[in-house]
Amino acid sequence: MSGPSTGGFAALFLRIGNLTFGGGDPALAAFQRELVDRRQWLSPELCSLAYSLARVTPGTNILAFCAAAGWQLLRWRGALLGVLAVSVPSAMLAVWLTWAYESWKSLALVNAVVGGTVAAAVGMMAAGALWLVRPFLGRGNRLRALVLVTASAALAGLLAIPPIPILAMAALTGLLWEDGEDA
Amino acid sequence: MNAFLLYLLLLKATITSFSGLSSLPVLRGDLVVRHRVLTDRQLNTAVAVARIGPGPIGLYVVSVGYFVAGLPGAVAGWLAMITPAFLIIPMLRYLGRRAESRHARRTIQAVILASAGLVISAMAPLARDAVTAPAPLAISAASFLLLAATRVDTAWVILGAAAAGLAGSLLAR
Repeated sequence: MSGPSTGGFAALFLRIGNLTFGGGDPALAAFQRELVDRRQWLSPELCSLAYSLARVTPGTNILAFCAAAGWQLLRWRGALLGVLAVSVPSAMLAVWLTWAYESWKSLALVNAVVGGTVAAAVGMMAAGALWLVRPFLGRGNRLRALVLVTASAALAGLLAIPPIPILAMAALTGLLWEDGEDA
Repeated sequence: MNAFLLYLLLLKATITSFSGLSSLPVLRGDLVVRHRVLTDRQLNTAVAVARIGPGPIGLYVVSVGYFVAGLPGAVAGWLAMITPAFLIIPMLRYLGRRAESRHARRTIQAVILASAGLVISAMAPLARDAVTAPAPLAISAASFLLLAATRVDTAWVILGAAAAGLAGSLLAR
């Protein structure tokens, strides 16, 4: 298994990170294919460890995966380069799109376009909540999932409790309440 | 708001979330409700803007930073987005497979489920701002159904919604 050059590493992370649409999951799948199957820079075990740990690292999963894969290949240089290559161009594009919105929002047609997209964003948030819940709706886990989702929404929406105490309470609940897989 | 304070507030949101838009409730609580430096409309727009281009969903934080404090704010947003990623390195070095233990997994799952509840509760005021007539309601519902029930790329949904908004405006003239 041969390691990458810095240039080859940067080129791969730039390409996958900034040309893969659809969020983190398609990009993670593309990285796995390239790093393990095609280029054999990482063993399946190391890639799987990076993938699993990225799921439990706070923040954006794909960036944590890039930091882990980069660190395994080129240590700190790889971690930094991986995260920068994946995030800088797409962040610049996001800034440009935001600037374009700010600059042109007074135009009626632009407002109509933005009105459509922000309405879609609401639907996207609802779908996002569903995506978060869906993996944990297996047999034996549904009650726990339902209680946690409903209680969090009610505590925040009805009692105006700030998110961080709610997340802390949820963490404690998760620690103490065994799910179906544990039984 | 200065960029450093903005970075800390955005970091608070990103470091207490585990995927997707789950940082949104904390971010909205701080920037929209408490400090009033961001509107619900801008937050909605940031979410939509981040989905038009490539990259992770968490990119919306960069757009939020730009809305609040211009380019320095965007840099603060970008830094807040990438900072938590480096926490994985000590986890790799010192925890390894222990971080996948049953207890750790259960705790993280509970936090993710609670995040979904928080996203639902944060969505209500955003919906009140964005869904003000039957046409936006139809666009929201169609977007939800497409994203929840099919594998269509989010960018296409956003572009379709933009086209629907434009068509609705032209027809109303």
